[in-house]
Amino acid sequence: MSAEDQNDEPPLDVNLLKEISKKALVDALNSVNGSKTLVLDPLLAAPLGLVTEVALLKHHGVDKMFWLEPGPLTSSTTNILYLCRPMVSYVKIIAGHIKKHAKESSKHNYTLVLVPRLSSLVSRLLEEEGVLGDITISSYNLQFLPVANDVLSLEYESAFKDIWVDGDESVVYDSAQALITLQKLFGLFPRLLGKGDCAARLINHLTTYLPQSHTPDTLSEPFSNFDSLIVIDRRVDMITPLLTQLTYEGLMDELLGIKNSHVELPASLVAPPPNPQTGATAAPPPPPPAAASLRKENKKKYHLSSADSLFMELRDVNFSNVGKRLNGVARRLEEDYKTSLQSKTTAQLREFVGRLGGLQSDHQSLRIHTGISELMLPITRTEQFNKSLEIQQNLLASYNVSEQISSIEDMIAKGADMETIVRLLCLASITAGGIKTKALDNIKREFLQAYGYNFLPLLLALAAPSLAILLPNPLPTSTPPAISASKLPFSPLRKSLRLLIDDNPEALEELENDISFVYSGYAPLSVRLVQCVAQKGGVLSNPAEKEKSLESSNKAPDGGKVQAHPIVGWKGFEDILAMIPGKTVDVVQNGVGVTPSGGIARPKDKATTTVVFFLGGCTYTEIAALRWVARQNRGRSFLIATTGIINGSSIVDGIAGIQKASAGTKDAGI
Amino acid sequence: MSEHPTTSWQAMQSGTGTVFYRRQQLYSLLGKLPDLGDYIISGCRYGGPLAMMRDNTKLIAIGRATPAFAKSQIQVYSSAGEGILLFSWDQSRIIRFGWTLNEQLVVLNEEGVYRVYDLQGDYQQFSLGSEASEMGVIDARIHENGMVALTGSLALLEVKGWEGARPMTLANPGLSDPPVSWAIIPPDSNISRHVEVLLSVDNTIYTVDNLESVDQRLSQGPFTHVSPSPNGKALALLTATGTLLVVSSDFQRRMAEFDTLNVPSAQGTVKQVEWCANDAIIVTWDSLAVLVGPFADTLEYYYVGNTFAVTEPDGVRVFGADVCDLIQKVPDSTLSIFRPGSTSPEAILYDAWESFSQRSPKADESIRSIRPDLATAVDKCIDAAGQEWEPYWQRRLLNAANFGKGSLDFYNPTDFVNMGQTLKVLNAVRFFEIGIPLSYAQFSYTSPTHLISRLTSRNMHLLALRISTFLSLKPDVVLKHWASAKILRSRPVASGTTTGKDAELDGDDEVCRLIVDKFKQLGGVDVSYADIAKRAWEVGRTGLATKLLDHEQRASDQVPLLLSMKEDRLALQKAVDSGDTDLVYQVLLHLHKHLTLGSFFRLIEDGGERLAPASRLLQVYAREQDRDMLRDFYYSDDRRVESAVLALEEATRMTDPSARITAVKSAQKFFSEDKDRSFEAKMMDESSRLLVLQQQLEAEADGKVPFFGQSVNETIRTCVVNGMLKRADKIKSDFKVPDKRFWYTKLYALTEIRDFEGLDTFSKSKRSPIGYEAFVHHLVEKGHSKEAVAYVARCDPPKRADLYAECDEWRMVGKECKDRGDKAKLEQLRKKCPNSLIARELEQIALTMK
Repeated sequence: MSAEDQNDEPPLDVNLLKEISKKALVDALNSVNGSKTLVLDPLLAAPLGLVTEVALLKHHGVDKMFWLEPGPLTSSTTNILYLCRPMVSYVKIIAGHIKKHAKESSKHNYTLVLVPRLSSLVSRLLEEEGVLGDITISSYNLQFLPVANDVLSLEYESAFKDIWVDGDESVVYDSAQALITLQKLFGLFPRLLGKGDCAARLINHLTTYLPQSHTPDTLSEPFSNFDSLIVIDRRVDMITPLLTQLTYEGLMDELLGIKNSHVELPASLVAPPPNPQTGATAAPPPPPPAAASLRKENKKKYHLSSADSLFMELRDVNFSNVGKRLNGVARRLEEDYKTSLQSKTTAQLREFVGRLGGLQSDHQSLRIHTGISELMLPITRTEQFNKSLEIQQNLLASYNVSEQISSIEDMIAKGADMETIVRLLCLASITAGGIKTKALDNIKREFLQAYGYNFLPLLLALAAPSLAILLPNPLPTSTPPAISASKLPFSPLRKSLRLLIDDNPEALEELENDISFVYSGYAPLSVRLVQCVAQKGGVLSNPAEKEKSLESSNKAPDGGKVQAHPIVGWKGFEDILAMIPGKTVDVVQNGVGVTPSGGIARPKDKATTTVVFFLGGCTYTEIAALRWVARQNRGRSFLIATTGIINGSSIVDGIAGIQKASAGTKDAGI
Repeated sequence: MSEHPTTSWQAMQSGTGTVFYRRQQLYSLLGKLPDLGDYIISGCRYGGPLAMMRDNTKLIAIGRATPAFAKSQIQVYSSAGEGILLFSWDQSRIIRFGWTLNEQLVVLNEEGVYRVYDLQGDYQQFSLGSEASEMGVIDARIHENGMVALTGSLALLEVKGWEGARPMTLANPGLSDPPVSWAIIPPDSNISRHVEVLLSVDNTIYTVDNLESVDQRLSQGPFTHVSPSPNGKALALLTATGTLLVVSSDFQRRMAEFDTLNVPSAQGTVKQVEWCANDAIIVTWDSLAVLVGPFADTLEYYYVGNTFAVTEPDGVRVFGADVCDLIQKVPDSTLSIFRPGSTSPEAILYDAWESFSQRSPKADESIRSIRPDLATAVDKCIDAAGQEWEPYWQRRLLNAANFGKGSLDFYNPTDFVNMGQTLKVLNAVRFFEIGIPLSYAQFSYTSPTHLISRLTSRNMHLLALRISTFLSLKPDVVLKHWASAKILRSRPVASGTTTGKDAELDGDDEVCRLIVDKFKQLGGVDVSYADIAKRAWEVGRTGLATKLLDHEQRASDQVPLLLSMKEDRLALQKAVDSGDTDLVYQVLLHLHKHLTLGSFFRLIEDGGERLAPASRLLQVYAREQDRDMLRDFYYSDDRRVESAVLALEEATRMTDPSARITAVKSAQKFFSEDKDRSFEAKMMDESSRLLVLQQQLEAEADGKVPFFGQSVNETIRTCVVNGMLKRADKIKSDFKVPDKRFWYTKLYALTEIRDFEGLDTFSKSKRSPIGYEAFVHHLVEKGHSKEAVAYVARCDPPKRADLYAECDEWRMVGKECKDRGDKAKLEQLRKKCPNSLIARELEQIALTMK
């Protein structure tokens, strides 16, 4: 299944988006004449790191850079440029700077560049602070950023919390804008499919606003690059992020934490600086010296880029197989080095020397990835980790739920991580349709005593109607009907969508042949839903497909891949979708190359791209699973777009962050 | 038949040969304009109108035709001398007025207030800010897309655009006196794309932009006139001694020098120094204009009465008392056709056509002779047609082109057709009643849409509509303007039969229907009804505005108007429906400011499910910005849980212990008021009890040990670590901590402080509820294998061997296995052992077993 290289359909050139963002940034910088001090939102530093380098900023007149943080700002240049997301706390800091400067009577020109668009809230706040007159406000429309060849991210860290805890749906609107941009670049989505209430709203925005915005030529082209857009609302599938991700990249995110494609590793591991030609160190803008020494300690950031071929090979592999893979690569490298000893003629030698650079970078990345695996291995052997996995698997199988609850209680007693406990509790509540009231009250009490009473709002938020993932069973009579309607009928779904692959020896092979490899047995519900649209065969009858593909592999030259079927909506799965709470949407966008029947008339051999948008974030495992689905078919590739990359702990931390307030912004969730 | 084009030509002898300039009379103005000498005038480019204001510094002979004005009045005349607008100025003294690119008149007064007037006399008023109003404005320069003002403190303020942008201070030139004269190079024609100010100070000129002020170190100053060329590349400077200097705008090259005192017929002082396109300068005196060419050669033009010159990108317009002229260099194509004795292909083509129309066989011969160049000749003829003013000559030239085109096998007629269309449009707008003497070059430069907007701003909707249809442009702009004008003009009809109110409603309905029908009929799809509705509302026709607004589809346009119309609920609803959170905030913040808190809350609460998103956004905002408001909001809506959570959030931010306890207690109170929240209330009760207890503990520890704010587990741990074991036990019983959790916590704490004796005592205090394996595991994990060994014996016998191995106690492993006779286990563990010595030992033990 090492089929990364087999993926013959070239994905769209997403670097275009990067270039656009870069150009917009340059324009924003150039709007202020002369040298300037850049004051940067720390949350934006990493996304910007994906777009540009420090050199580019310097080239466009940035003299010094500071974090946008409380405290005084001394600037040697007249021009001060703030670049930040429109957040109330930032506005206060900025107003503080301006007032302070006014008091010291140092004169500056202030420009505030808001990402991604202007905000009347910000101007109002500035007005209230009495500094609106001193500052020029403009916007920098930073939208989708390519974090991998086939993954686009808006890099919103708090999208999930904003939508489902605070009810602030700015993210939905911004996502719609970003998707419209995508359409302008690559063509119209002929069909819009979605599951979930917010997904429905997003699609509504897309269809309402498009006809009015001036339609550029790409939108009227007869053939779009896309065949459909599938929007999955995170609320629809809360199970997946709550589970522990078991692919290499996913586990790395769980255990070490990946932020904006960078993982923090002990400096000793990254230390011998990788060859510049590997291109693996497109460093983000370095923090200003003062802040640097504080935060860096002896950790170093390592960029997990698509240029690293070994990482490309490993990232989607179940962690249990990573050791084997690494071993194989090590052997291969050794072989390659050995050939140098056998090379006799100068020509052979020259050829070897030519490859040496590649070998060295391979060597380097092998060293790093072996190091990373060694870092993670001990953690995967701890009791806590394994107990939590065991509980997860039992809950998914609905095996003896009350016993699992007491296991969770034991874990609290043993002092397990707060995040782990919350994830398990929510998982129990979702899969079992709620936890028995008495047991729940008891465990909530245990939880609060062990981790602090200040987590009570977190528990309330999880039980609130918008989220409803930690509920008592039966529900008290006074609960609003919205809550009972939002319950996921897990058991029937597990059966009809084949969410859990049995844990017996025969099934193991099957596991290798299904998206459930990413969770060692559980198939992410969200990806199953995508399969309902884009690979209908894969949902129900995987083994059969496998046989078929084996048969055809003898004949077909294409390595046994099945031609992707056209997009016909949710057809065949309407009943199942009706069972899942949340609206189901299926809209055909006005007629470009669409036949009346709704199927899309296009040349058979032309590869199309299906965009899957995760509203509220997606996990690395879901990405891995979608890549797997893409490899099964010919003629369709997936472009995964998301508001951000998440995992269960980052969600929990995000919600709990209400209490952490200012403390949690920097390294929350790691 | 009109005069031959060459009759308006005059030759200027220049260094490299003869250059022809032509003086094209555009309009005859006899008696239409007042005496230009008595007025301050500002002319709009691209054939735009003139704005005039009486120059108060001049004496007027009583009895002249002009009435004396008590107040300032500004008159606007078209180039053909037709009056377009007259308005009086009721504010403080006017400093400067000038034109924008869109033919709007900007009037600036000494208090830094400026108004942007359209040609209908409607204006928007802006200010240059407090600094300008305090110091006063002494002068200003207005360009098409902004202006630069010189304040009383001799600082320069720049305004970009005409949307009321905030004035930016340019670099301080450090003047002590106002400059003798000054000028600006607009951003569009400057290399840096930022405005540049040229100040004539003493002998030199300072160039000032937003970064720095540079002394150019000239010596001939002071300069009475500074005038940059239309493309910004050259400057014309007139010294006090009457020398005209032309230099490049970076002051690196001197291009020409000319002594104005040498003009014999000139009387008095120089009035204007203006550019004629980019290569010649026109210097005007009373009734004389002298054109100075690039090599200081001159042409003199005489006028009756005072003159006024307006620079155009392709020439200069000169107004005299009785005439309006365009003086420009004869365009290349025209020159090569009509120049006497020209033998260029285009001249021959034109000649051939003339022969042809006179039925002379010479035509064929001529056309043969220029065959290879025929295509270019045709192009030139088309181009020359565009340069001609008289339809007669335009037609002749186009005919010639057509004739040549016929002899070509392949020729793309697009240019020909376009030129024909364009000329038709140009001739229409040049007609004196319309009075826009737009040249072809200017038309190409400013675009057809610009022309349309100029026509609509003169309320010439029909012509504008016809032209836009003729040029296949969208009719939206015209329709929009038409609708606004329509609303303005149509007063609600009050006929005798119906009462006033009904009549107004009928009127509204009718006007609305009229407008909507017209739009549908003419296909104005992109028209924003909101703009028109806004207009209706501004003139006080709220009913009509509401009706029109219903047709608007873009919420972002609808909402602001609805707000100003005080349709609060509707505005909020539309904003919520649009999904644009920023729009919702806009409405919320506006309402919060203008309504009483009570009615504001009521509005949101009454909205129910539909306005729920707005309510949530308000909470997000208030949580950060206005907590008191949020508290009131929750309270007024009886949201106990939210009130409690808010109190808790505040508690976590508090540093003062007693305040925090109070906050937690109030949260507890809120929860207890909700019967479904008894669990939470109980928890909060525990929480406050814990906080009080922690205060006591801190007092007991003499404030050396921080307890406050810890969780129950942490408190127990801190107690144990600090040897307050009794207290730990008390907490356990007070908070009903289960045995298991208590034991784990204490185990961890004791291990942490390496109190192994204490641990031993603790382990023996009663039978461990967590077993003893946990002890072993934890101790080993923390690196205390030796201490762990003691606990292995208390574990389940079957597990002991493994646990010993975990503790690295191999001898005991052997013993254990031997005692239990478990050879298999021994073998299994032997494989794991760290060195051969032990392995051998274990092997020996194994051998002793059966």
